[in-house]
Amino acid sequence: MWINMGPQHPMTHGLWNLRIKVDGETIVDAEPEVGYLHRGIEKICENRTFTQVIPITDRLCYGSSMSWSHLYCRSVEDLMGLEVPPRAQYIRVAVLEMQRIASHLMWLAAYAADLGMMAGFIYGMRDREVFVDLLQDLTGSRLTYNYPRVGGVSHDVPPGWDKDALRACDYMEQRLREYEDIYEGSKIFMMRNVGVGVLKRDLAMNLGVTGPPMRASGAKYDLRKDRPYEAYDEMDFQVCSRTEGDCFARYRVRMDEMWESCRIIRQAVQKMPKGEWRVVAPRNAPAGTGVAMVEDPRGEGMMYVVGDGTDRPYRLKIRSPIFVTVSAAPQFLVGYKIADVVAIMGGLDMCIGENDR
Amino acid sequence: MVEGGRRGGGGGQELERAPTRVDADPEERVLTGLMEGFPSSLSEAKRVRPGLLRARIKREDLYDSCRLLRESLGFEHMSMISAVDYPDRFEVVYHVSSYQNNMTLELITTTPKDDPKVDSVSDIWGGANWQEREAYDLMGITFEGHPKLERILMLKDTLYHPLRKDFRG
Repeated sequence: MWINMGPQHPMTHGLWNLRIKVDGETIVDAEPEVGYLHRGIEKICENRTFTQVIPITDRLCYGSSMSWSHLYCRSVEDLMGLEVPPRAQYIRVAVLEMQRIASHLMWLAAYAADLGMMAGFIYGMRDREVFVDLLQDLTGSRLTYNYPRVGGVSHDVPPGWDKDALRACDYMEQRLREYEDIYEGSKIFMMRNVGVGVLKRDLAMNLGVTGPPMRASGAKYDLRKDRPYEAYDEMDFQVCSRTEGDCFARYRVRMDEMWESCRIIRQAVQKMPKGEWRVVAPRNAPAGTGVAMVEDPRGEGMMYVVGDGTDRPYRLKIRSPIFVTVSAAPQFLVGYKIADVVAIMGGLDMCIGENDR
Repeated sequence: MVEGGRRGGGGGQELERAPTRVDADPEERVLTGLMEGFPSSLSEAKRVRPGLLRARIKREDLYDSCRLLRESLGFEHMSMISAVDYPDRFEVVYHVSSYQNNMTLELITTTPKDDPKVDSVSDIWGGANWQEREAYDLMGITFEGHPKLERILMLKDTLYHPLRKDFRG
């Protein structure tokens, strides 16, 4: 029997439909259906100038908009052959890691609500405000920041922001200890997570699963470490990975990444050099192509931009990590029970905005 | 509290790196491997910057070259498939990544405007499945041998391919 979980279902966090085929309580086949939120962003970008595209790429994912506009700026910098000044690189590292923590916390909150822990939801959303406030101090808006620019960032950090950032990291590390006690001390949370939704390492690689789900399956690969961009090669941090490949490992990888993000923010803020934070980019891009890949909170984000000598991108292709990850849903789900679907799909951190573009 | 649940690296094995000789760096090996395998249909094979290679291949040999990349040259991951509509041709650009050698290959193939067809690589990399469906949906490239080539983002009964340059909404 086929069951539609979605498009209006508490599990889905947005509009998408997961069709599952069940034999009794056991899942024997699954098929995600996406596209409910397709806005044609790639087509819209072809009719905007390079600067006008930045706020549109912010709208790819409201949970991690900074990482998307940063990725877009990097791809255009590659096309134009621009070098970003060191101070801008450090600012970008700091804001990207803040965005990563905010995104992971929103995932954690939603995940807790999925699994019936409303306390976890309230805690996660409360502490996410700390980092959203920091980004608001810097950029003026809470969710869609419009902050990176082609050739740097739009403005310098305000005075005293570095102290706020360090204080936020101290606060966050205390809170993370508390979360670990709340979540891992909950018997129900552990029962619904440990050993559920196991994905093997080689299968994960072949299916294009990237980011925390791949690292939870045992592949120790992080673009920040293995192919460093911006100032990540000057930061001291660990790549977080586990070998189990189940929902608990994915939860654990994201928690560890928040610890490491706090470390990176501290280093970036303390080591930030003085100087320019933006170089002026040319209005027109040369004919050619540019490609950039970054470690988005959800996996490997890529953009491929084609320039034709005008001030608009001829073509902008966006690779959304969760689009490929969710295409592997049958391999995550088959063999488990209907009650596990919420834990497995919730643990992937689904974001419809970037999935459907 | 679960033992070992606390942070501290948490395990995860290092990826095995491909056996390398001192005189053969992996990027060079991939380029020579491709050129020896497909001498007539490969062109413009070069290193763009460290970690990024680029090559063009004729579409007849696309499937075989992808199989060579996957099985002998250590490319485990299909990162991205992009279709681009140029005035005189379609280009399908495959970004294939290798975790063990830590590099990405940009493999470009072209199809004529009146016959937008390439072979599907979704049985080599499972991650290519939905990306090929997306390219079919938005750009109208047919991927031969794809298990389920249907629209994915647009409605099922849409009559056009919106990312084509001649599309007027």
